[in-house]
Amino acid sequence: MDALMLRSLQCYVIGTFGAARWQAVCAKAGLVVGTFEPMLHYEPGTADQIAQVAAEVLGRPAETIWEDVGTHLVTNPDREGVRRLLRFGGVTFADFLHSLEELPGRARLALPDLDMPDVTLVEVGGDRFEVTCRSHLRATQRVLVGLLTAMADDYGALCVIDAGEDDRTTVAILDPRHAKARRFDLALPAR
Amino acid sequence: MLAQGPADRIEIDAGMLARFMPMHLLLDAGGRALAYGPTLERVLASAAVPGARFEDLFDVRAPGGAVTIHEVLERGGSRFRMVPRHGLRVGLRGLGLPLCGGKRILLNLTFGIDLISAVRDLSLTDADFAATDLAMELLYLAEANAAVTRELRGLNLRLEGARVAAEEEAMTDALTGLRNRRAADLVLERMCAARASFGLLHMDLDYFKAVNDTLGHAAGDLVLANVGSILRDQLRAEDCAARIGGDEFVMIIAGRSEPGTLQAIADRIIARICQPMEFEGKSIRVSASIGIIRSVDFATPDAAHLLASADRALYAAKHAGRGQAVLLHSGGD
Repeated sequence: MDALMLRSLQCYVIGTFGAARWQAVCAKAGLVVGTFEPMLHYEPGTADQIAQVAAEVLGRPAETIWEDVGTHLVTNPDREGVRRLLRFGGVTFADFLHSLEELPGRARLALPDLDMPDVTLVEVGGDRFEVTCRSHLRATQRVLVGLLTAMADDYGALCVIDAGEDDRTTVAILDPRHAKARRFDLALPAR
Repeated sequence: MLAQGPADRIEIDAGMLARFMPMHLLLDAGGRALAYGPTLERVLASAAVPGARFEDLFDVRAPGGAVTIHEVLERGGSRFRMVPRHGLRVGLRGLGLPLCGGKRILLNLTFGIDLISAVRDLSLTDADFAATDLAMELLYLAEANAAVTRELRGLNLRLEGARVAAEEEAMTDALTGLRNRRAADLVLERMCAARASFGLLHMDLDYFKAVNDTLGHAAGDLVLANVGSILRDQLRAEDCAARIGGDEFVMIIAGRSEPGTLQAIADRIIARICQPMEFEGKSIRVSASIGIIRSVDFATPDAAHLLASADRALYAAKHAGRGQAVLLHSGGD
């Protein structure tokens, strides 16, 4: 999990602030190599440590950075794959929220040794949901908040998303059809 | 299992059937179409009309030789494979059973492995599949797999790049940019094994120790770096120039055996090295001695033996007075 988080952080910082700022983060963190490989293994907790350094270099709180990383994962055109995989979760944003519980299982289909955090979803009222995401990384909840925000946009749903205590995030759907959803074809055009 | 009787008979209307099986085909006893599931209707396009005969709609691939639906069910049991004759040419897998005491035949079809292209070509959505269908999971898995494969390919390329760089570094003398001892040994061994003809030059700088002692190591390093660029300049890409010790160099001149040519190369190198170099406003002068041998002088060239002979030639050059190159013919074989 740390590897994916670190790679996403790296892509976000390079894409948003430029390669020089990322090099500055790596130098300050004392890293010899300035590249994190998504398919390799890193010491659990590394992602939180590097984010702390990034927060100092970029002058913004780590929580904000992680939320932006979550949004960047979905909206960055180079990473269209992530958005597509998430959109397979359902036809509406509420369907998508329900599919979050399946996310670890889905991820394990593709990467059997990925230590995805457990996600549970509780429908607390008509259009109110509580998402609990237990992870050894503090970053995870914030990435989830950013990702949910971007996906709500993708589905054209108007939502209030709050990161609460105990890894619990609340999502209130105010209007599921607030804007036009971004187009999603089940199959990519043939190359 | 329920006991046979009126209790286990259920009624299902066309709308419900369409929701449970969006790819079904209901035929009468003669094999003519009565109803099409909505997704199958999209596959067959304009051919999906009531009364169409099964054999006009589909080209049966398995069971082999079967044409009509009766032959299909007779020979293949209840499972079969076929391709529509009209509409989307896509492989379909199916299950068929007679209903209502043989008055009806119900077929349920699926895209099987052609799912992705069918979804693409017909722009199918979630709503075109039964809620129990694993189509979404299959599409998801195909994309997730492609993404993982892409990442792994990227990782492989990056690792390969790092490996090449590390290998290059392991073969390079950082100060002069020439090859190092390890690289020179490898080249020499390879050329000996291939019985290639080449000239081997062993060079030692004259007065280098004096430069180091009087002007310091920075001056010495400057001299070595300059010698590095002189050798790179004077040799061709297929040759190999290496720094194998403090101020000791080895050059392997590929494909050259004529004494005159080798002597001329060595003389040219010495002439360049003898030109004054500048260090912090001071002029530095060094020189070089070179021992030359030729692989063709050895019946069975062997790297260690060749290097020892080149060293003897170098000794002879030093002995003859510095700033000279001496070619030793007798390999000592």
